[in-house]
Amino acid sequence: MRKIMVLAALVVIGIVLLYAVGKMPPMNSRNTPDKTHVVPRYLNEGESEGGAKNIITGVILNYRGYDTMGEVTVIFSALCATIALLDREKRKVSRSGVDASGVRASVIVRTVVRFLVPIVVFFAAYMILHGEATPGGGFQGGAIIGASVIIFTLVFGLPESTRRMPLKARVPFESIAMLGFLAMGFIGIAFGVNFLTYVLPGLHGSLVDTIRSQMLMVIEIGIGIGGGLVFTSIVLAMVREDEYELQPDIPQP
Amino acid sequence: MNFSRIFHNLNYAVSALLFLMGLYTVTVKPNLIKKLIGLNIMETSVFLLIVSLGMIPDGQAPIVTNGVRPSMMVNPIPQALILTGIVVAVSTTAVALSLCIRIHEKYDTLDAFKIHGRGGL
Amino acid sequence: MNWVLNLLLLIFLVCTAAAAILIKDLLAAAIVFSAYSLLMAILWTQLRAPDLAITEAAVGAGVTTVLLIVTIYRTVRKEE
Repeated sequence: MRKIMVLAALVVIGIVLLYAVGKMPPMNSRNTPDKTHVVPRYLNEGESEGGAKNIITGVILNYRGYDTMGEVTVIFSALCATIALLDREKRKVSRSGVDASGVRASVIVRTVVRFLVPIVVFFAAYMILHGEATPGGGFQGGAIIGASVIIFTLVFGLPESTRRMPLKARVPFESIAMLGFLAMGFIGIAFGVNFLTYVLPGLHGSLVDTIRSQMLMVIEIGIGIGGGLVFTSIVLAMVREDEYELQPDIPQP
Repeated sequence: MNFSRIFHNLNYAVSALLFLMGLYTVTVKPNLIKKLIGLNIMETSVFLLIVSLGMIPDGQAPIVTNGVRPSMMVNPIPQALILTGIVVAVSTTAVALSLCIRIHEKYDTLDAFKIHGRGGL
Repeated sequence: MNWVLNLLLLIFLVCTAAAAILIKDLLAAAIVFSAYSLLMAILWTQLRAPDLAITEAAVGAGVTTVLLIVTIYRTVRKEE
């Protein structure tokens, strides 16, 4: 009964939405109203005003810097919420049930992963640092670092992974994204202009361009490392299962 | 109902269809993880709609290189906004899955009606 | 010929979304959801959005799928 009522309501909403789609201007055409007023300014002056050859990086870090600060806040709050829910107490031994069978992964998988994880981290560093001239950027590199830590944890087990990235080493760097953003923002206030203004308006020259590029790169590195550590900490917190009595360290075969 | 226009704007129509499928999943299916999958489908359908607005014929990616004139680039504004959107989507999914783990520890089920019967939600 | 690839991607997108909703085994639904994420990443490439394609591939197929599988491991596997 519920299903039929919901389906009827959805059919009505669907007809209304399809009627609206029929009234929209045709897709894939050049002179719709949303592309003629504001967008040519962003495309023509995006490189000189935004400060990066990748116009999207210029938009998210310069034209829309507040939105990116909000996004970093959301990531950081998600990390706080996940750890508050799951990582309740400190245990001497962190066990996870995902790899509790006691059988190690095969030699081929272990060798390939051990060979591949440094290359993936290197690629993530390339993507973070080169985000201003090619597709990429801060957050993409952070997600790739998170994915590489995930694959390492799944193959080698949680104790190995926690041994290489202990909590004491992760905590000082997890808020580096937020603090980097705020630091770069307050530099603008220190010079008397608005928050998140990178160079004083009215200055030109190649030294000013270099300074702005470097400030953007500091923010991107911050977002990359911060985002990567957030994903790492979320996955390591979810994989871990709490034991209710302390277990001795079981030697792996 | 202009059917030829709807067939030309196929991206928008598929986005509306995916939104409705996600909404059906969130309201009808009782399992919490299924509801989360439906929520993710709804979110990605909205991203598809907004980014498809910026496409032009023979468009190029909005990156300044040799041989790409600014008048040939697609609209960069929706892409920048949706980048933030994807990040927010994965963050909310992570928090929601942590909540599912805790709910299962307390009520030993993930069925919304049974949790309501045992005194939760 | 560009519209052929677009049409095929959209048809497969709807099919994988329907499969992810209707399958009762949650682990299979998570894997099909990962395929949905991959098709969405290819669609972003088709719409000339390389940043979005990289982000969706790394986040959707990498992080969201693994989080879903870990949650399914620690809770139920079959619906109801």
